[in-house]
Amino acid sequence: MKRELTNHDNFSSSCSSSSKPPMWLCDADDELFAVLGYSVKPSDMADVAQKIEHLEQVMCSVENDGLSQLASDTTHYNPSDLFSWLESMISGLNPTPDFDSAVNRMAVDSDFGSDLTAIPGKAVYPNPRAKPPSPAKKLKLSPQETESSESIVMVDSQENGIRLVHSLMACAEAVQKEDFKLAEALVKNIGFLAVSQAGAMRKVATYFAEALARRIYRLYPDSAFTDLLQMHFYETCPYLKFAHFTANQAILESFAGRDLVHVVDFSMKQGMQWPPLLQALALRPGGPPRFRLTAVGPPSTDNTDQLKEIGRKLGQLANSINVEFEYRGLVTNSLADLTAALLERREGETVAVNSIFDLHPLLARPGAIETVLRVVTELKPEIFTVVEQEANHNGSVFSDRFTEALHYYSTLFDSLESCGGGSDEDRVMSEIYLGRQICNVVACEGADRVERHETLGQWRRRLGAAGFEAVHIGSNAHKQASMLLELFGGGDGYRVEERHGCLMLGWHTRPLVATSAWRLAS
Amino acid sequence: MDMDMDMDMDTKKKCTRFFINDNMDVLIEILKRLDEKSIGVAACVCRLWCALTRNDALWEHLCFRQLSPPREGVRTVVAALGGYRRLYTLCVKPVLTRLGKRKDMWTTHEVDLSLSLFCVDYYERLFLAGAATPPSSLIFLCKAG
Repeated sequence: MKRELTNHDNFSSSCSSSSKPPMWLCDADDELFAVLGYSVKPSDMADVAQKIEHLEQVMCSVENDGLSQLASDTTHYNPSDLFSWLESMISGLNPTPDFDSAVNRMAVDSDFGSDLTAIPGKAVYPNPRAKPPSPAKKLKLSPQETESSESIVMVDSQENGIRLVHSLMACAEAVQKEDFKLAEALVKNIGFLAVSQAGAMRKVATYFAEALARRIYRLYPDSAFTDLLQMHFYETCPYLKFAHFTANQAILESFAGRDLVHVVDFSMKQGMQWPPLLQALALRPGGPPRFRLTAVGPPSTDNTDQLKEIGRKLGQLANSINVEFEYRGLVTNSLADLTAALLERREGETVAVNSIFDLHPLLARPGAIETVLRVVTELKPEIFTVVEQEANHNGSVFSDRFTEALHYYSTLFDSLESCGGGSDEDRVMSEIYLGRQICNVVACEGADRVERHETLGQWRRRLGAAGFEAVHIGSNAHKQASMLLELFGGGDGYRVEERHGCLMLGWHTRPLVATSAWRLAS
Repeated sequence: MDMDMDMDMDTKKKCTRFFINDNMDVLIEILKRLDEKSIGVAACVCRLWCALTRNDALWEHLCFRQLSPPREGVRTVVAALGGYRRLYTLCVKPVLTRLGKRKDMWTTHEVDLSLSLFCVDYYERLFLAGAATPPSSLIFLCKAG
């Protein structure tokens, strides 16, 4: 049964024109229904009919996920009482948005022009362009009932998906122009639109909406537990493992034939990168070299000396596989505070410097990246492995940055959705980890905005200017990386690509992470 | 007649039954050629067989049988990281299953990858020693593809 698009007023009046039952039937259950086992009061019949119709329409437009959720998660009480059972079914399929509750009660009353017209209350925009109605595409506005707080809102996912992206862009534009009133109004509606989506789109939109809201209201995010979140990210998806394995392969190859090696790691974190390298060195023909590791990290938030602890464990590992191991931990707030003297290069050793996602934060402070690159050149490394996100999130125009980030993180979240590693908890933590990054890119500015990702091309220029030239990462790394990705499932979604000797890991056609290796230009 | 009966007794004594458990070298050679499932079944036969199947050398053979001369030093490293049986169960088998490869198509790349993952797991266990949560760096191998 097809219904035309109606506006708010028409719908209310059609409601009130339904006939009322005679008084003498009001209290007893309707006999005909009672015979079938349902208890429906005659006074409720009109509402029951309406609700059945709504339910039918909702079930048509909800995606498969919603239906199975109905079957397993929603609790049904007393199905013979049709009136309340239908209410619970409908509310089960259309949960009220969990965006800020204060926001829910406010009406959107400004007209934004373009193709968005505001409707008061919890609703989504009607389509002003005439479109041929089809069974799945129906839009209804909620009647403003004073007694019930449940709104019956049918949404068309696909159209709202497009509206959602447009709203996000429009909001970013508004923020760019510093029209915060408009931006505020838009961000509230993004919340509702986001809820109408499913899966990755919903999550990405929610994070971006939160980040925009934080920017507008100047509520900056905190950064606790990042290490823990990164561990879960390590477990769930291959990006970090890819980074570690490819960098290790490049380092291993550069250490060929050397007996005294020194790795300077800017990205120590939990030290998960080094066990495989130690093991590969232990098994290399000719035996392992003497291995020295200098780990650089920020001060621990709790009172433990985390760097020291990690060094101890790595030492234990090295000991069991008979690799001579020396370790030093350097605690510093910023890589720019390091000097070559501190890093203590010794005579006769082959140095490798490693940075996994740790160069881009330096772009937040002027001069920092140049200092660090200079220090690295002073170490005269045999190889400098750099892994960075393959995206430009450091543009000077906010709305451009926003659009780039939206595309990048949408792809990233899509890949999270499809790949199988880790438990559900791991996946949620990974999403929070990425959500933090989104928040930083969108809501922060100046020295606080540390997620200043740049593309490989941009890094190539910077490193070239500092005196580095690219080292081609060999085919062994490519093979290992491809195999690793096969293990992660995701059904061919992950792609390893080689570009000018650097390896890129991407999801379908979009590269997301790039590993590159550098040495001093001769 | 007596002479004939004596001869029968002699030949009988010479044809003593061959009892496999008395010939462990043969037994081990046979077990070495089994696949993982059959080794599991063999372990249930008796205590001796069970002990033999726990022998890491058997599992080393299972892991790297198809590869031409095994690289030197691998044995000490694998033993230090937890042994071949563990390597097989945790890494080799899931890797092979996931990659859909038959064991005779194994190359050094698969070996290297399995060893690397095995090492990461060992390190994680070092880290989590005593903690309630089990190491999870290899969970991605167990999840259905």
